[in-house]
Amino acid sequence: MEAAVDAVILIDHGGRVTAFNRSAERLFGYSSQELLGRNVSILMPAPHRSEHNGYLERYARTGVAHIIGVGREVEGLRQDGTRFPAFLSVGQVPGSDPPRFVGFVRDVTTERQALATIQAARDRAEAHQNEAQQARHLQERLMHVSRMATMGEMAAGIAHELNQPLSAIATYARACERLLESADPDLTETRSSLHEIGEEALRAGDIIRHLRQLVGGQASEHMVTDLNELIEDISVLAQADARVHATQLELDLAEGLPRVNADRVQLQQVLLNLVRNALEALQELPAAGRKVTICTTRAADDLVEMSVSDNGPGLSHAIADRLFTPFVTTKVAGTGLGLAISRTIVHAHDGKIAHRARSPSGACFFVHIPAVKDEDA
Amino acid sequence: MKETAPTVYIVDDDHGVRSSLRVLMKSVNLPASPFASAQEFLAAYHAVQPGCLVLDIRMPGMSGLELQEELNRRGVVLPVIFITGHADVPMAVEAMRQGAFDFVQKPFRDQDLIDRVQKALARDQNTRQALKEHSRIRARLASLTPREREVLDLLVTGKANKVVAQDLSLSQRTVEIHRAHVMEKMAVQSVAQLVRMIMDLEHRGTPPTG
Repeated sequence: MEAAVDAVILIDHGGRVTAFNRSAERLFGYSSQELLGRNVSILMPAPHRSEHNGYLERYARTGVAHIIGVGREVEGLRQDGTRFPAFLSVGQVPGSDPPRFVGFVRDVTTERQALATIQAARDRAEAHQNEAQQARHLQERLMHVSRMATMGEMAAGIAHELNQPLSAIATYARACERLLESADPDLTETRSSLHEIGEEALRAGDIIRHLRQLVGGQASEHMVTDLNELIEDISVLAQADARVHATQLELDLAEGLPRVNADRVQLQQVLLNLVRNALEALQELPAAGRKVTICTTRAADDLVEMSVSDNGPGLSHAIADRLFTPFVTTKVAGTGLGLAISRTIVHAHDGKIAHRARSPSGACFFVHIPAVKDEDA
Repeated sequence: MKETAPTVYIVDDDHGVRSSLRVLMKSVNLPASPFASAQEFLAAYHAVQPGCLVLDIRMPGMSGLELQEELNRRGVVLPVIFITGHADVPMAVEAMRQGAFDFVQKPFRDQDLIDRVQKALARDQNTRQALKEHSRIRARLASLTPREREVLDLLVTGKANKVVAQDLSLSQRTVEIHRAHVMEKMAVQSVAQLVRMIMDLEHRGTPPTG
């Protein structure tokens, strides 16, 4: 018993201490001499202190154990009046009658402190995570709202773009009716028209699918992506917008580009923003000369470039310095968020966005995104 | 350039719209010729070819309005029916101001377009006939001698032979001979016919060449 690491205290049925080992002396600050024969409740803070004799009586009377054989966390009271957290297990000394009890007391201050430290650290981490998550959530909301705004601005173009296949379908269908009314119907023409009706319906569906992708409020999702594919995918909407602006939109996509790690919808949003800016920059020019080019190329071994160029008047120095500042806009109805959000998106892709002047005139906005490593496309 | 059968020329950058219009025209037995751009059409079309033009008002490159301007500049008489979107009303108004024959809004009823195309083709035929007639009349006018032309100019103002003779210091007999030559060369039976012919010519103005 003297060799035990835990404090060991023996008491009789009246709660009087009959043994107190060295660990107990160290733990509570009493010598065993001081404690032998005294009630063990001296080692307990209130309310257990006054209740302890009651516990013993109840056990003697009912034989129902509350703590015996279970163990629980309690508080100990040292001689100097300080308290400490302790784990107490109690057993009845076998064959003792009247019963005697043995208590093992382990100081759990260190464990408690460690736990508290861990908990505090966990709380802090959670708070940071919440903040980061909230910020990310807000940013995604903002991007979504901005996409919705872009869609709103493009509504005329999109309506026109949907009207085209619908108009073609209606015309084909009526033409087929008329062809079949003839005494000797041209079945080849009718069949190919029916085929075209199907194609045009798919085309309308395709436009709607692209729209839904862009207006969906999905969370950011990065995956290994073919930049050209992403551009061709969004070009349906970009072309619609270009048509409304009576502007020629060309794709000039390099072959064999390495792939990038990207959130498709977000990069498409960047592209749409850049195309819309280019289209608006061209409005002063006569329609026949307006041209916007979306271009991809390999900027370096590990860098892919996607650019949008126009042959408009180019950027003035005054605006060039503040391009990416939120709420700065040259447009009558602009929010001034397009480029700011684009930059946020590009930075989240570990990329950069900038512009250069074109010769003889015009602006080119380009985005550099790191190629996916260990993957030679 | 040889004259072809009246043709519905279709210029629309949208493949579906363009090709469905061609089939629709075919379904009412009208020859149609589709083009994907204004430039393509300009390169292929010659002013002597009769028909009408169904033209998308909004196209990248040269727009429908710009093509109309170019055709006006070249003196092409082909009637133009514009196809517009619902947002293009101001452009359609401008097109009408520039002499467009008519316009239809997308999506349109097939019968509406067919009716307009038929009317445009009829108008084109009339215009071309009148132009042909005019050039024939001009040729006849050109065949008159200066003296005969003087006599004609006075006759159409309603002057009698006697007055013409006095004005030109000729004998009435000489005027009568000139007058007979004028009537014969101009292929008319009466002075009233002659007057209508000349008035018509002056009213229509100078025909385009090409």
